[in-house]
Amino acid sequence: MTTQMETDFGALSDTGCVRENNEDAYGLAPEVNLFVLSDGMGGLEFGEVASRLTVDAVLAHCREAEANPLLPLSGERVDGVSATSNRLASAVRLANEAVHRAALQNGVRQQMGATVVAVQFDGERMSLAHVGDSRAYRLRGGDFEQLTEDHSFVAEQMRRGRMTQQEAGSSTLQNVLVRALGIEPMVEVAVGEELVMEGDTVLLCSDGLTRELSDAQIAAVLGETEDAQEAAGRLVELAKQAGGGDNITAVVLRHAAKPVGAFARISRLGKWFKGPRDLS
Amino acid sequence: MPKLVLKFENTVLKEVPVGAREVSIGRSPDNGLVIDNPAISHYHARVFEEEGRLMLEDFGSLNGTFVNGQRVKMVMLKPGDSVAIGKHTIVVSDSRDLDGFAFGNGGAKPAAPKINETVMLDTKERREFLQKVAAVGESSQVAPARMKVPTLVVRKGKTSQKEYTLSDKLTVVGKSALATVKLTSWFAPRAAAQISRREDNAYYIGAADKVPSVNGHPVAHPIKLVSGDIIEVAGVQLEFVYRD
Repeated sequence: MTTQMETDFGALSDTGCVRENNEDAYGLAPEVNLFVLSDGMGGLEFGEVASRLTVDAVLAHCREAEANPLLPLSGERVDGVSATSNRLASAVRLANEAVHRAALQNGVRQQMGATVVAVQFDGERMSLAHVGDSRAYRLRGGDFEQLTEDHSFVAEQMRRGRMTQQEAGSSTLQNVLVRALGIEPMVEVAVGEELVMEGDTVLLCSDGLTRELSDAQIAAVLGETEDAQEAAGRLVELAKQAGGGDNITAVVLRHAAKPVGAFARISRLGKWFKGPRDLS
Repeated sequence: MPKLVLKFENTVLKEVPVGAREVSIGRSPDNGLVIDNPAISHYHARVFEEEGRLMLEDFGSLNGTFVNGQRVKMVMLKPGDSVAIGKHTIVVSDSRDLDGFAFGNGGAKPAAPKINETVMLDTKERREFLQKVAAVGESSQVAPARMKVPTLVVRKGKTSQKEYTLSDKLTVVGKSALATVKLTSWFAPRAAAQISRREDNAYYIGAADKVPSVNGHPVAHPIKLVSGDIIEVAGVQLEFVYRD
């Protein structure tokens, strides 16, 4: 058996300085080592509904699978990845169905959708699933790396060798996604796996954070701030100071280099109950 | 050292030095210069140095390689030559100056334009976009795929097997239960290095307990592996190759 690593986690979501409502949502399920973030889109309150549906659907499926490992998967099994990764991909497909169904019911088909980025830790392995332009980053030692590829128009153009990074950074089409949940009955989920090392920090964030702060700024905060909750708070605060043009959400996950003491665990549980996962 | 400058419609997309190391060109992610376009063969051509001369060889690609307008099989390149592959152009440049081609992390973020709310391309727009992308590959001929098997060949050191076929998204080198490339020496680390297959289907090697080196250079930030790369970590030497 592999050793179970302690995950210190913290999260914060903020409407930002320009928008009137917060269409981001996140969900933390430390009992199954699962952390989810979603950025909703749509008029009126539909964006909020879409991101909340997404987070809830992912959490529900993975929690159910924890109790019942024989729970059928939604969609095709992905080769070359673990059962946990397949479960996570299945959960994202179900979230897509949930948002799609809600959109049809509300008759707002083209205006309701969501991104998702979700990680689940299983011993030394991290499963990663995402759709859209919400990102996962990892800080390991001094190295800061984006683990996800944006499913956006500009990122797609760059991958196809049709746009440079500079052009993409100044494009007015940055907000256009080519893949999102809820738009069509089926969605292609990007699934990845990474090794988990002691001391690694993983960040899940919405584009409201990465549009305001550079990689270097984000890495500096993560590197300097020990407490995960404090790091999430500082990132959101910096993004607001930089303009806060969109909703901002950061989920910070840190694998303790040393076992976390009982006291720390209790105080974190306190935080968890006081600050519920739904701040949107 | 000469370099290859990849352009699309007058926009510089990439610059790759050539000479010391052969540069293969193609659609497959394991090429030195990747052009992700249906008009490009998976392994389209290569540029290499021979007796002080810079040579270009077309691998019998479907849609061909053109130098200064002429379809070529094997040709010597001079600075200023323009190589056409699909709708992309590769210019051979001999300038030694490094024009500020800043990629990657750090530095100041360019001033971001005012961005509206996130939107999704609707189905119709997306189809049109994909059609437009396909149209760039103009000649409706699409180069056939040649599947190659990513393999790690053990050249030095104690491991559980002589070679490993990479079929998983995550490959760990070490003693850990998770490790595919199992190190069997006494003092081997649990996880010496990790290799991940990313969304572009290429393999990236990065540090874990140790910082691996690729072709003698330590890998602080994960890098893409290409055929022939020599990886050294925790007393083992592995060669990464794409097998036919």
